[in-house]
Amino acid sequence: MSATLAPAPRWARRLAGITRRSPTLAIGAAILFGFALMALLAPWIAPFDPVQADARNVLAAPGGAHPFGTDGNGMDVLSRVIAGAGWAFGIAIPAVLVGLVVGVPLGLYTGYRGGWPDEIMMRGFDALRVFPSIILALAVVAAAGPSLLNVVLVIGFLDSPVFARVVRAEVIALRGSTFVESAVSAGNPTWRILFVHILPNAIQGAMAQTAVRAAWAVRISATLAFLGVGIQPPTPEWGAMIRQGAEYLVTGQWWVGIFPGVALILMVLGLNMLGDGMQDMLDPRRKAATR
Amino acid sequence: MTPVLEVEGLEKRFPAQGGRTVHAVNGVSFTINAGETLGVVGESGSGKSTIGRAVIRLLKPDGGQVRFQGRDITRLPESACRPLRSEMQMVFQDPWSALNPRIRIGDLIAEPLLLHTKLPRGERQDRAEHLARRVRLTTELLTRYPSELSGGQLQRVCIARAIATNPKLIVLDEPTSSLDLSVRAGILELLAELKAETGAAMMFISHDLGTVKLISDRIMVLYLGGVVEYAPAAQVFAEPAHPYSQALMSAHLPADPMAVLRRHVLEGEVPSPINLPPGCHFASRCPVAVPDCRRHAPELRPVHGDTAHQAACLRIAEGANRIPELQHG
Repeated sequence: MSATLAPAPRWARRLAGITRRSPTLAIGAAILFGFALMALLAPWIAPFDPVQADARNVLAAPGGAHPFGTDGNGMDVLSRVIAGAGWAFGIAIPAVLVGLVVGVPLGLYTGYRGGWPDEIMMRGFDALRVFPSIILALAVVAAAGPSLLNVVLVIGFLDSPVFARVVRAEVIALRGSTFVESAVSAGNPTWRILFVHILPNAIQGAMAQTAVRAAWAVRISATLAFLGVGIQPPTPEWGAMIRQGAEYLVTGQWWVGIFPGVALILMVLGLNMLGDGMQDMLDPRRKAATR
Repeated sequence: MTPVLEVEGLEKRFPAQGGRTVHAVNGVSFTINAGETLGVVGESGSGKSTIGRAVIRLLKPDGGQVRFQGRDITRLPESACRPLRSEMQMVFQDPWSALNPRIRIGDLIAEPLLLHTKLPRGERQDRAEHLARRVRLTTELLTRYPSELSGGQLQRVCIARAIATNPKLIVLDEPTSSLDLSVRAGILELLAELKAETGAAMMFISHDLGTVKLISDRIMVLYLGGVVEYAPAAQVFAEPAHPYSQALMSAHLPADPMAVLRRHVLEGEVPSPINLPPGCHFASRCPVAVPDCRRHAPELRPVHGDTAHQAACLRIAEGANRIPELQHG
């Protein structure tokens, strides 16, 4: 054989390195990559419009033009499952961002400042923890109305204590360090000490949490929709689809609920695996523990 | 001319376990003039670092007064201290932890300029290069991160940061103690040079007399948060008056390898700064202490009528302050 083997490009070698170090992360990332492609290419790969009702073709069994069958409105289940990926990302990503934007500055400030602001925040979080978060989300969304924005905000706010706590713990460890003292003595204003000097050294823990929190967001949003207070049908949201499907399960039309259910499970699994891998890589304490 | 720094009766206490109080600094007074270096010597726990942090207001004093260029800054809130920080800077003991690991060396050196001047970015970079050369760092280090530099190089970075805004006062908190012996001399030389060039007042904190000797004009010896001797450097080395200073001197290795070592090793326990005993705090370890020492706290008094040389020891007046080993040696 005379074919010369070109050296693998750098990104490919890095990818291989990450796969070897954390297969969990690689599998999770692969699953999510699949879902991301699905969400982005939905208009081109979905055989039908996901909200196109067809009264003459209700509850058709999988096969033929509808590989996943049709639901009670005659909408194509495959197209709806594909479109659902976009909704899942569309809720999870903004929700995690809201959680970060609210939680990180809170954790930074209270961790650095200590004293009563810290005390109030921590007691507030403890009070929040008394309620299961799904009940809280349920109550707030039921009261505020089931719009996408409300669902995203509620999930984001409920997520923020997680980020605040992780960041706060890091800040407390860094607060007394000499480089922070040196930043003070150089004349840095407090906001610059927090965001320029402490934040870059305190953010890994929070970043490692993002994928796991996204998985939680997907799950909560589906639960809300399933309970009928979240995103409303006929929007192709997996939770809402599972709810519709549940009604037909007893009468034998299993495909309406099972396919979105499998998609939901796969996505949450992918995010959790990615999150686990990220925590192993980004969180130095976990890294040391797993080595 | 007003001294750069005037400190009067400085006090600092810290809360300890069980609602008790650690008396870290108890009524310390001193002044530093422009171009002058005060060496602050004492063992760990003597309050020397606390004093250093209190005078540039990294800590809030509990009592006494700190005047910087004639202005009382004792109770100034942090926001009001900030503009003053360009004029008072600090170099810390451990250069490995004194620099933000995620910021490039060039930006670290230029940071005080960013904070206190309106210079444009390019100008700041030029100044950073100039500062780097001034502390003998090659300019190619400016794009590196702190973890890529050696301890000596990092301490030079810290010094460059400290002199970036031409401060009037620089507090050096054991700047050489955590460095290898081979690197120390270079840093001390650099500091001596900067002292001559910048005309800044310096406060050089150390537990090692040999280090302080090189660049100090005056020396303040601390014991348990109090001044036991305060005098021109030459006098402290030639003729230490306080028994504690004498013991410190005898622990210091002379440069001459043939010199006969006459050491006095102190015995006894250092009293706890939580329960300070009445009288002289050094009495429990002092070889020349008499019962009176445990009753009356000595004040700083001129030694033999010399107001420049002050010591706090009852027995100086009686001429009984020499500790035995040195007498017989």
